Amino acid sequence: MLQCGRFMRQPLRFSLQPFLRRSLHTDLGVSPVLLTRARLLAAEHAKLSTRLADSFDAKIAKRAGELAPSAAILKEWDTANESISELKALLEDPETDAELHSLATEDLETSRQALPSLSDRLKKSLIPRHPFADLPCLVEIRPGAGGDEAGLFAYEMMRMYMTLCSRKGLRPTILKQDVEDGPSEDRLLEAVIEVEADGAYDILRTESGVHRVQRVPATETKGRTHTSAVSVMVLPSFPESGSASDHALNFDDPTSDYYIDPQEVRVEKMRAGGAGGQHVNKTESAIRLTHIPTNTVVSMQDERSQHANRRTAWQMLRAKIAEARQEAREQELVQLRRGAMGGVAKMGRGDKIRTYNYGQSRCTDHRSGITLHNLDDVLAGGDGLESVMDSVRTWISDREVEAMVAEEMAKAEEQEKKEAKQRKK
Amino acid sequence: MPRIRPSTLIKAYQENPLLPLLLKECRTLESARNELRWLREHALRTSQTRQPQTTTPWRTYLSSICRQRSRGYPLQYILGDQPFGDLEILCRPGVLIPRPDTESYVLQAAKLVEQIALEKLSGNKEDKEDKEDSDTTNVPQSKPLQILDLCTGTGCITLLLHALLSPRFNLRITGIDISPAALSLARKNLAHNLQAGHLTHRASTDIKFHRADIMAVNPSSNGTPTIENLLGEYVAAEESDHDHERDQDSSPRELECDLLISNPPYISTADFRNGTTARSVRLFEPRLALVPAPRPHLTTTADVRPEDIFYDRILDISYRLRSKVTVLECGDIQQAERVVSMHTSMAPPAEFRVQIWPWAEEDMAFYGFHSSGGSRCVIIQRV
Repeated sequence: MLQCGRFMRQPLRFSLQPFLRRSLHTDLGVSPVLLTRARLLAAEHAKLSTRLADSFDAKIAKRAGELAPSAAILKEWDTANESISELKALLEDPETDAELHSLATEDLETSRQALPSLSDRLKKSLIPRHPFADLPCLVEIRPGAGGDEAGLFAYEMMRMYMTLCSRKGLRPTILKQDVEDGPSEDRLLEAVIEVEADGAYDILRTESGVHRVQRVPATETKGRTHTSAVSVMVLPSFPESGSASDHALNFDDPTSDYYIDPQEVRVEKMRAGGAGGQHVNKTESAIRLTHIPTNTVVSMQDERSQHANRRTAWQMLRAKIAEARQEAREQELVQLRRGAMGGVAKMGRGDKIRTYNYGQSRCTDHRSGITLHNLDDVLAGGDGLESVMDSVRTWISDREVEAMVAEEMAKAEEQEKKEAKQRKK
Repeated sequence: MPRIRPSTLIKAYQENPLLPLLLKECRTLESARNELRWLREHALRTSQTRQPQTTTPWRTYLSSICRQRSRGYPLQYILGDQPFGDLEILCRPGVLIPRPDTESYVLQAAKLVEQIALEKLSGNKEDKEDKEDSDTTNVPQSKPLQILDLCTGTGCITLLLHALLSPRFNLRITGIDISPAALSLARKNLAHNLQAGHLTHRASTDIKFHRADIMAVNPSSNGTPTIENLLGEYVAAEESDHDHERDQDSSPRELECDLLISNPPYISTADFRNGTTARSVRLFEPRLALVPAPRPHLTTTADVRPEDIFYDRILDISYRLRSKVTVLECGDIQQAERVVSMHTSMAPPAEFRVQIWPWAEEDMAFYGFHSSGGSRCVIIQRV
């Protein structure tokens, strides 16, 4: 009831409506399983804080820092609930005079309004952080089906992300830009943008997937609308070797999940045989790395220095393999959850995620369902694109909350079953 | 060299009329495309920086440098520089252009020297454990590593070694060359990389470039100092620095050198003419840096091939300097093996560990050397 009322009062500003409804369409209360989880985390945070007060330890401080937001929000949520129950008690008390009564009613209303957003924030703070969230990233853009037109649009998408990143101060650089044979510069075969800012992975990871474009291409003579696709992959960019303080992300460490055995990588310098050293002065600096177990191939030829090309190629290979391993792990989790959730909620990189329709000047994201009728602004990397990305971020965290609830519920059930068995015995 | 197929030429022409010109030197379409991109960037850059009224339009300039390139003129002389490690080495006609092979040897040599120095350091630490761990934290204050780079050319080896080793060690690096043009370019490169921030400011005092003829035994008539003159001064300077130390050990200080590295001329006159040496190298790079000049007065080296005379001489210098590590670039595996046998005939093999690098198949693949005709280096380590 209350929720409906809230929606009626709220003016619907623009077409963000579908996603707004989705994001707020979570029940008012926080499910008990999540609440226990939150309490556990808060207790851990309190324990760590007292320990930190005695002696400083970088590891503990890091963990405490991760837990701090959920502990703080839980506290806020608790106080809000407390004040609601206090106000209720005040209202039910027949001795309360009229003036106080009206004040309490008002207060209760505002507290109740604050509660849903609080519980939403609480849930989101419980989502485990993505392992790559703090890292800079690489954005790989490749044309898919659609021939020349896909290459042209891939180039436009590269420009779109470049302007978006520089507008947000994320320091983008083009690591690789392969264009198709021919006189034109703007038909991409492949491009890789490095976004150096920490946390860029978290900002851009909404963009992984297949982007579809519907328009009359420049190459079309009969005015027909074509549909073509461009695939975008956002990969984590690991810090230079050794400097990583975080053990889990140190790719030089053989025990790390993201370690690559150099023995498993074939290095090919694309250079013919013959004499070497002073006898020749070849300017060929291209390099190709193949990770044999997964057959991942990376080639680099943009820089004049072979040394620099080799370094970039290794960076890209590591990024690709880490992303693939992370993807595999997530897939495993999805398999585990499937029973509890009854379906797959995750969208893989093979799924179509967004459509850019020139004829209707429309951009639709298929995950959050948002539609903007300001395509130019989106393609210019402006606020339009940002609001689309924001809506997707909300969508992703909603999915993650759902998954988390399902997981916790499954865990709780199992626990109960075990206890029941023990009791039987 | 296989002929370029006409279909490739046609395809290249359709893509860009300048590409067939570059194809003459590059041989493959991919590498010609890359060169065209670099040349175009260079043409645009020069047209922006120069006064507009004094220069030709960039397209005209681009086609003129492409034609120059098609005659085999080295790309690095046109662009003016070549990346080497993280450095940018300026290249001028008359001085040999740094090769990627050399880059790999320098990286390997730096790794080896670092390993040896750190081992020694930790050994010293065990000896005087009561001195606490002060000497690991004060690495830059420790005794400098002495490095000698013979036939330095552009100075690329000297500068890259400094860039690689200076974060952990105190250094004293001397680059020696016979050519005044090379020396002035080497000094220019030092200043250029200092200015660009590729080298730390210590480089200006740690690095010295000197002119000397390492092949001359007697002081020559034309005034070029011999290596003996130079090393005499080198040692004298050393001793005045360490005067107070000399009181403690009364024996005269021996010459010392932690690393002796060289990329000397090593191409035989036959290989220079018969097509093994590429046209671009033969026509436009200095013969002085490629083919050892015959030395009629060196009669003792009857059993040494004319292309190997530099190694004979450098090995001799390395024994006298008691060099801990000696790294010599060679043209191919046969030459490397000859250098190894020269070494075993000249010095007691028990005192040294010798290897030809890269030897292992995976090293060759990793560093991009091809197994048959490619260059190698000989690493001699005193044990």
